[in-house]
Amino acid sequence: MTPTHSGCDWCPYGRQRMAHGDGHAVEVNPALRSDVPGVDHCLQEAMAIPGAVGASIVDYTTGFPVATTGAAPNDDHEAAAAGTADVVQAANSRSLFVSAIPHDLLEDLIITTAGGYHLLRPVQTDFDSRLVLYVWLDRVLGNLAVARHRMQKLADDLVAT
Amino acid sequence: MSPSKTVAPGRLLAQVAGERQTGALVVRGHPGGAVYVLEGRVIYAESPAAPGVGELLTASGRLAGRTWQNALDRGTATARVGRMLVEHGHLTQGELELCVLGATYDAAYFALAPQDAPAEFLGGATHWLGPVVHIDPAAVTREVRRRAKMLDDIFPDPRVDTEVVTPITRPPRERITLTAPQWELLVHADGQRTPADLAFLLGKAGFATIQELRRLAAAGLLDLPGVRDKAPEFVRLPRSRGTAVDAHRPQLRPDNSPTVPVVSGVRPAAPDPPAPTALTEETSANGTVYRPPRLARRKPGAKLPKELAGDAPPHTGTDEVLLKRIRTALRALR
Repeated sequence: MTPTHSGCDWCPYGRQRMAHGDGHAVEVNPALRSDVPGVDHCLQEAMAIPGAVGASIVDYTTGFPVATTGAAPNDDHEAAAAGTADVVQAANSRSLFVSAIPHDLLEDLIITTAGGYHLLRPVQTDFDSRLVLYVWLDRVLGNLAVARHRMQKLADDLVAT
Repeated sequence: MSPSKTVAPGRLLAQVAGERQTGALVVRGHPGGAVYVLEGRVIYAESPAAPGVGELLTASGRLAGRTWQNALDRGTATARVGRMLVEHGHLTQGELELCVLGATYDAAYFALAPQDAPAEFLGGATHWLGPVVHIDPAAVTREVRRRAKMLDDIFPDPRVDTEVVTPITRPPRERITLTAPQWELLVHADGQRTPADLAFLLGKAGFATIQELRRLAAAGLLDLPGVRDKAPEFVRLPRSRGTAVDAHRPQLRPDNSPTVPVVSGVRPAAPDPPAPTALTEETSANGTVYRPPRLARRKPGAKLPKELAGDAPPHTGTDEVLLKRIRTALRALR
């Protein structure tokens, strides 16, 4: 079933927002809310990235993990989120990387350690929020290019319009 | 429904969560707020100091005001406002969840941070937004405590959170660095808006706002209130959707002294630096004290007071004399 506006008699736009960028439509069935690409679904998909060990969505002004799944460094999602916030703030506002070119924007951050990759990608919402999608990848099993591509799609789909 | 009593709101939340209750934990006081619990899980929170889901979505332009209003009109009775917005394609489920999560933790901070506040639990109460997220109450109270500590680590002065925001007029250093949110706050701080006013005006989370304000205060960029009236007052219009924000005007001073500095005459070039005079009276060159007459302000559209209006007959109908004169003049032009 593809979403239509037949049942929407008050929509001022009559605009369909549920189709994904790549053309396929999302299943919308009110009885099956888990099919809707919400936060939990996004994290499930993140864990499906080859080599993913853990994933979370972090508010980087407060350093709070809004949603988490899988493992976290030192088994502490909250501490990891606080660290994530520090790193994003450092790159976003305390360093000059993102202001090198006018209207430049932080796209993602990759921290490589001997044991793994830590990928951070800001989730751009229209309303005020400062969120970043964090995925921890195993160094051997993970593929950086694949993971970056998949995370971009996940972050976009989460707020797809 | 338990009677309102002064307790630690966090403890009351833990209690009702442990009993897997459904209802609203209402916290009174400044700023106060409410935390909505469904079978022991937090589903939403709201506070006068934190923009709610509707304010965040409309102030940012993500939803048109009428879209939101329509959803409220149709979904409030059945508590399905959130679900309706998603079902009708105005928001994605992800956006709704993230927005609700953000607004809930934000309002929960203001509602639950006070150690002692009159709080009560209204059993059975639900929120019109409907259950979108289900948060562990322990995680909420833990996060509230963490946020309170975070603010004190930045700048331990809670007055910054509630008092009118007044940027200093001259920076204390040659070079200062501002982030984009800080710039936005300073530009909109007009010396009358409170942090809550600014949060609603800009559609930013209340906590994020006071976090930036505490950073600005720590950097010495805010004029901190000295001995102003203690009780913080949240002055804001209901549903100030990113438009004008109410503000309290300074009261007319009891004496007749001017409320603005009055430039009176040319001062002689003083050899010594002029002493910073308090704004009580300005003395002109000839020694007389200048006190402008205090004018009674008339509200727009209000009638003149009787003593001024006098016995002049009420003006009714068109001015026939004037019309005749215009007619004569027009004829003369032909």
